Amino acid sequence: MRLVIARRQDVPGWLKLVSPLYAIALTLLSGAAMFAALGVSPTTGLYTYFVSPLTDAWALQEVAVKATPLVLIAVGLSLCYLSDNWNIGAEGQLVIGAVFGAAVAVATHGAPNGPWVLPAMIVAGMVGGALFAMIPAILKTRFQANEILTSLMLVYVAELLLDWLVRGPWRDPHGFNFPQTVMFEPEAQMTRLMDVGRLNISAPLALLVVAVAAILLARTLKGFEIRVVGEAPRAARFAGWDPRTLTWTVFAISGALAGLAGVVEASGTLGQLQPNISPGYGFTAIIVAFLGRLNPIGCLAAAIFLAVTFIGGENAQIALRLPLDVTRVFQGMLLFYILACDAVIAFRFTIVRGDASGATA
Amino acid sequence: MSFNRRDLIKGAGVAAGAAALGTSAVAQAAPLQVGFIYVGPVGDFGWSTMHDIGRKRLEEVMGAQVKTTPVESVAANDMERVATQLARQGHRLIFTTSFSFFQATMRVAPTLPQTFFESATGTATAPNVSLYNARFYEGRYVQGVIAARKSKSKTIGYIASFPVPEVMHAINTVMRGAWSVDPSMKIRVVWVNAWFNPGREADAARALIDQGCDVICQHTDSPAPLQLANERGVFGFGQASDMTKFAPRAHLTSSVNNWGDYYVERARAVINGTWKPGDVWGGLGSGLFRLAPFTNMTPEEASEAQKIAEALGSGKLNPFDGPIVRADGTEVIGAGGRLTDDQIRSMNYFYRGVDVAVPG
Amino acid sequence: MTLLEAILLTVITASTPLVIAAIGELVVERAGVVNLGVEGMMIMGAACGFAAAIMTGSTFIGVLAGVGAGVAMSLIFALLALGLAANQIASGLALTIFGLGLSGLVGASFIGAKREAMPKLDVPVLTDLPFVGPVVFGQDPFVYISVLLVVSVWWFLTRTRAGLVLRACGENHTSAHALGYRVLRIRLFAVMFGGGCAGLAGAYLSLAYTPFWSPGMTAGRGWIALAIVVFASWLPWRLLMGAYLFGGITILQLHAQGMGVRIPSQLLSALPYLVTIVALVVISRRRSGWNAAPGALGKPFSRDY
Repeated sequence: MRLVIARRQDVPGWLKLVSPLYAIALTLLSGAAMFAALGVSPTTGLYTYFVSPLTDAWALQEVAVKATPLVLIAVGLSLCYLSDNWNIGAEGQLVIGAVFGAAVAVATHGAPNGPWVLPAMIVAGMVGGALFAMIPAILKTRFQANEILTSLMLVYVAELLLDWLVRGPWRDPHGFNFPQTVMFEPEAQMTRLMDVGRLNISAPLALLVVAVAAILLARTLKGFEIRVVGEAPRAARFAGWDPRTLTWTVFAISGALAGLAGVVEASGTLGQLQPNISPGYGFTAIIVAFLGRLNPIGCLAAAIFLAVTFIGGENAQIALRLPLDVTRVFQGMLLFYILACDAVIAFRFTIVRGDASGATA
Repeated sequence: MSFNRRDLIKGAGVAAGAAALGTSAVAQAAPLQVGFIYVGPVGDFGWSTMHDIGRKRLEEVMGAQVKTTPVESVAANDMERVATQLARQGHRLIFTTSFSFFQATMRVAPTLPQTFFESATGTATAPNVSLYNARFYEGRYVQGVIAARKSKSKTIGYIASFPVPEVMHAINTVMRGAWSVDPSMKIRVVWVNAWFNPGREADAARALIDQGCDVICQHTDSPAPLQLANERGVFGFGQASDMTKFAPRAHLTSSVNNWGDYYVERARAVINGTWKPGDVWGGLGSGLFRLAPFTNMTPEEASEAQKIAEALGSGKLNPFDGPIVRADGTEVIGAGGRLTDDQIRSMNYFYRGVDVAVPG
Repeated sequence: MTLLEAILLTVITASTPLVIAAIGELVVERAGVVNLGVEGMMIMGAACGFAAAIMTGSTFIGVLAGVGAGVAMSLIFALLALGLAANQIASGLALTIFGLGLSGLVGASFIGAKREAMPKLDVPVLTDLPFVGPVVFGQDPFVYISVLLVVSVWWFLTRTRAGLVLRACGENHTSAHALGYRVLRIRLFAVMFGGGCAGLAGAYLSLAYTPFWSPGMTAGRGWIALAIVVFASWLPWRLLMGAYLFGGITILQLHAQGMGVRIPSQLLSALPYLVTIVALVVISRRRSGWNAAPGALGKPFSRDY
């Protein structure tokens, strides 16, 4: 008797829906075991991680605040990855976007200005991110330089540029020479939507981005092109599509979205530039993109999910005194399960009785 | 037991009053919850570790009167949420232990008027925001004096983190101390652009030693530079904690952060209802930090260093007395003058004779 | 010892963890698999290596534990990415998150513990030779292991049948399978080798380079190792060159600062990254159009494709 694993020709739709449920069930089980081992009641532990971040309006706003930059970046990265362009430097594009956006805020600081400042910052940030993303794109198309390396290396360069700016030319003249820019004027900060809580206009903006990207991918020729180039590059060449133009396009879009996320963090969350403006959103978004199956709506769900576990981890430190490392282990396990279950549904498991010899599948 | 007490209360006929008293007594007995927000991991050897040791000291001294909650590796982007969450869970005193949290603290504090905030460095106070920091530069002056006695090459190597005023005035003060012994002392500085990156700190120490520096000062948190000094047979100073054991042959002294007593004082103030916003910047005399026992020094060298540390602690000696002249030749203050705290806190220049490029 | 000797010596030590981690990943990628979890495996190697060395008092056991931890981590990745054909990029990233957390838990009780650094080689007469002495004969054992690894991998990939088979799996797993090679098994060995190397590189950090444990002490070196594999266009000798180039610029910029060069330190710190990009562009340009990546890189394989 032996187990035979065979790849399914078509994964039925119901299985695709069931797969995350498998993952959740496994996570709940091993989470419960882990909490019990650490001396924490399993129900309290799971509640803290997965429910406490969703319990009231304030907490929900925080989930949105945390998920917004992740969604924005992940949607852009999905377009890249679908078309076989491996941009892993979104963190750097985020930083440059924040720098370009902040340039507007710093330049208009203290001057009479109007409601045009914030839109100008958003546009500047998107342009900045897109331009910075064009560097690996052009190095790829012009010199065949591998974009994984160039986009990753440029992250460090971008961070050092930001560091230089906030310690040098853009340092707040009245900030005791601490490394920070001035606090942006109210016109240069993301408009908040509620009286209490940090939800701002960037969250609906992210939803809009998701909607546009979903339509682009599913309903337009460009979206078709992106998918075909990734799946069947030869067919794409027969269709007469220029892979170079497409590389530039997806890098520019994903850079612009990462740049937008940078403006969101600088102007919406921090209200200034500091040497560190992102807790690694550009890298986390890579996971979001894959968890979301490179689908904009999937990215939205994945970003919300990851945001919940990040905040749940903070709450676990506060309410249960669990160290941050436990959260990281838990998150890692959770991602393993999700990936495993996504993969498992692509196979059919059957138990064959009798002789082991013969066909493999 | 409880039955009896209830009966007694009933008998006294002051049930309502006693019950009210009872609940207020319970409320007073409930421990004060104190939150600590760290910028790095608890195990970073330096800044966050020492704040966490201060937290443990607070628990040790206050016992059941306090309950503390640390939250580690928090990004400035998440600070407001963590602080709000702590406050919602009943924490009434929150230490935000990094300058990168300062603006976020100022934003979140007005929304949580029942909570007292203590920011480790910052530029302003608020009705419920205090500032606290230590005058670590006093320890740097002592390091300079010792370095000048120990150095044969007359060159100090300084592993600097970031070009912030805290680091720049520390470099100037080391040299002030060194020049007080030997005006021909020189310094080489390497910026590693990190507070904590053991590998790069070790590389920087190697580079400085290779260039002839034989006393290494570090403004980064890991014991790597000191260990390397030990390996290479030169001297060094520990940072944040007593690092003697990492470099038995190289260690001269360490500047040891000691936040615990301050935390006890502030928690007591909240419990007693006497908390007021303040701006504490204490030196060697305040106990906010101390020097680890001198090692690898002759008795004469040690007693000289001890005397200077005492003079600094008592205020008899001030490293920021004039004349002070910038590297570019402009005079900041003349003889007889003294820099104000704000001038020290915002220092972004090197003194004449400190031949180091100002980054940024 | 002259300054030049000293600089060379430091460059070689600084590059060694990069060489070790990168050569492991090179084999993984030549077999057609991308494991982005190098940072996570490396830090587990650092934590477990240090913990074992403290508990047993033996550096050698520490090194073994580091390698073992790296292999164990790589098995998790193998289970997902090979066994279940899950997405390799996401599996690797998840492995890094997991490793950063688990290493913190493993190492928690060893923070503040100290060990002596591993002694450097000291061959009588040879080490005292001018110039070549300290640089060639005065390093710690890891340095020689790293060079040996590069030579062995080069020899294995180009001179042995097994190496040829491994490369075949990386170039076109369908054909390799059709020829009767066990693609998954070969890839499993490659992934385990990569994990072992990453663990070894981590153990080098916590046992020799900066002999203590602290969370996050790999400080992104796993990512640089990944970049160096790409930089090397998957060739062992070029990998050695790439790692020494990166390490060299890193050390030289520190020396430039110490000498008081008046350039913003941020620009100097960015130099290793910028130089690597420029070097890659120059190399890629000369190849003009030839894509050096293994053909099946990152594509999952299951038997019944």
